[in-house]
Amino acid sequence: MGTSITYYLQEMLRGEWLRKFLFVKTAPYETPPHFRDYPRLTGKECNRCLNCMMICPTPGAIEVLKTEEGWNPVIYPGHCIRCGLCVEACPEGVLMSGRILESQFYENTGYSYTFHLTVDTTRCMRCGNCSVACPINKEEDPQLAAGGTGANDEVIMRVKGGELQILHEEKCTGCKTCEETCPNSAIRVARVIEAIHVAEEEG
Amino acid sequence: MSFLQSIKNTVRSRSIHVSYVNVGSCNGCDIEVLAMLAPRYDIEQYGIYVHNNPREADILLVTGAFTPQWEDKLKSIWDKIPEPKAAIAIGNCPISGCVFNRRGSFVDPPVAKHIPIAAEVPGCPPRPTEILNAVLSLAPVVFKDYEEKQQ
Amino acid sequence: MKKTVDVSLPIGPLHPCFKEPARIRCETKGERVISAEMDLGYVKKGIERIMRGRPWQEVMFLAERVCGICSVIHNMVCIETLEKLSGIDVPERAAYLRVIVNELDRIQSHLLANFSYCYTIEHETLSMYLLNLRETAMDMLELITGARVTCAYMVPGGVRFDLRDEDRLTLEEALDHMEKELDRYVGMFKNGPLIAQRSKGVGIISRDDVIEAHGVGPVARASGIPESDRRLEHPTYRKLGFTPLSYEDGDNYARIMIRFDEVYQSIGLIRRCLENMVPGPIRGGGTVTAGEATHAGEAPRGELTYYVKTDEYGRIIDIAIRTPSIMNIESCAHYMLEGVSSAADITSTFISADPCIACAER
Repeated sequence: MGTSITYYLQEMLRGEWLRKFLFVKTAPYETPPHFRDYPRLTGKECNRCLNCMMICPTPGAIEVLKTEEGWNPVIYPGHCIRCGLCVEACPEGVLMSGRILESQFYENTGYSYTFHLTVDTTRCMRCGNCSVACPINKEEDPQLAAGGTGANDEVIMRVKGGELQILHEEKCTGCKTCEETCPNSAIRVARVIEAIHVAEEEG
Repeated sequence: MSFLQSIKNTVRSRSIHVSYVNVGSCNGCDIEVLAMLAPRYDIEQYGIYVHNNPREADILLVTGAFTPQWEDKLKSIWDKIPEPKAAIAIGNCPISGCVFNRRGSFVDPPVAKHIPIAAEVPGCPPRPTEILNAVLSLAPVVFKDYEEKQQ
Repeated sequence: MKKTVDVSLPIGPLHPCFKEPARIRCETKGERVISAEMDLGYVKKGIERIMRGRPWQEVMFLAERVCGICSVIHNMVCIETLEKLSGIDVPERAAYLRVIVNELDRIQSHLLANFSYCYTIEHETLSMYLLNLRETAMDMLELITGARVTCAYMVPGGVRFDLRDEDRLTLEEALDHMEKELDRYVGMFKNGPLIAQRSKGVGIISRDDVIEAHGVGPVARASGIPESDRRLEHPTYRKLGFTPLSYEDGDNYARIMIRFDEVYQSIGLIRRCLENMVPGPIRGGGTVTAGEATHAGEAPRGELTYYVKTDEYGRIIDIAIRTPSIMNIESCAHYMLEGVSSAADITSTFISADPCIACAER
């Protein structure tokens, strides 16, 4: 017994042990690599397909903005819920978060989309805000006037004869811009999304 | 710096009492605050003590988008906390309303409209380490030399 | 002359034992509770209202945020309802992965409930042990799904991520570790004389009262109604040969012990899933179409029912959620709290029913 007491006394009177006992804190717990953190840019080029904005379940969490380096998605912490859907939906692999990109590569998982525009004619006021705001319309017909009237047949939707016409539903990218600009919630984009294995689709 | 102030600084740096209030969150952030109690994160080594009594608290953790029931209650809880005090918004809901901030819901974010918020921890929900870091980095800013700053 | 004073004792909305705001109004005689009422409505957000008109990829996240503690089961039942109404089949591997994640979520929820109970009866050592054990379950959830609390793991027709082989070994190790540690903690709970005094015979609810109050989940199973478990009707659980457990006493002790036993059962279910799992696809595809369906699943707190009606593009027209907590709160306030002999037992009885206010109000 005597030896063990001296052993413990020797052990505990060492300066290093005392310092550890009094001052050392447990190391801060590290974030594991598989945690889906806020999406980060991988450095690949964004082709501005707006799939990330289309699939995002949160209002105002992601935006594709133009900077000096070109178009790039911007994540807003405080809105982003770190679900990782934008990372999975991006066809170019611009964003990364946790192990999502890696597992998507090995498991060949992805989503396929179709979009449908529905207009509630009882609510639509034919103001044409949706036609003017639509980013696809802007590319197809830059001259589309305020009020959404124009002669170009290539646009997705336009106001003609006092009525909102949907001409090319298949060109829609589901970006929700028309929904947000509509003052009366008349136009809705139905985003039908299917969770699939990409390899099966191709083969 | 006076001697009294330095004693107060030393004591306050190792004794941070935390109270949390749920003003309409989904529980996700609440259980992450609770998980912070676990021996793995071991908050008591930093002198943080979590309990739910605003009258003893130094830091108030607010979780949740603001629901109408709390209009008067959150203010009165805030008034009950003795000075010096600070409030931290935990999670996306008190910052922006997150997924609940949509047409037709009853919430009224952000919480900063109702009580002064000193720090925000984004995330849905934030990890316990993120909450811990926020508390630890806010505490010296608020509590150090509090009396001298008041003069 | 002895005088008895009737006191109305309010507890809450902010109280050290509550994690969420709720208010119990107890009519007491001395310290004995005569009747109790619950005041709810502090966290009403109107989730069902904002779900309307949205496709599944938004509703899924809103459904998860009905309740943060049992988020996986909300996700699972919501997605399974959508699959039921549009006739989507799930690949076998995905079905097993769903059960694994769901049972991990059940483990962490039950451990959290038992932590709260031990914390309320001031057994801080055991509660901290349980909370630390819960972190292991959270780690495994994070390993498989990538997030600790709101996992967003299930999508119509499958799951989002596969379980890798190296992760499978980690999961098996963690299960062994959890089982070993849990043996110790259950022994502490069973053999602690003070715990038994605080728990046995307190907050009794009989089988007939549970049926009358529509109690569900561990509350019902602790009073001898094992058939209340909705997992019996789930095809994957049937394949695994699931049999529910039950206790007869219906007091606080039985409610805590049934949760401990279900943690063991969940560990067994995960092991059986891992044995039966064969490599294969994890997503079957399939779009949500028009339809109307009701589907129920077993949340950690009891039966959870979703009624969903969709339009042709899979957007929700109408949705109604029935969560288990509201029934358990009812049975707690009107049956368990009646006759509780001290104010300290009010909070512990309330916590033993594991009420989830965010679930109940949405």
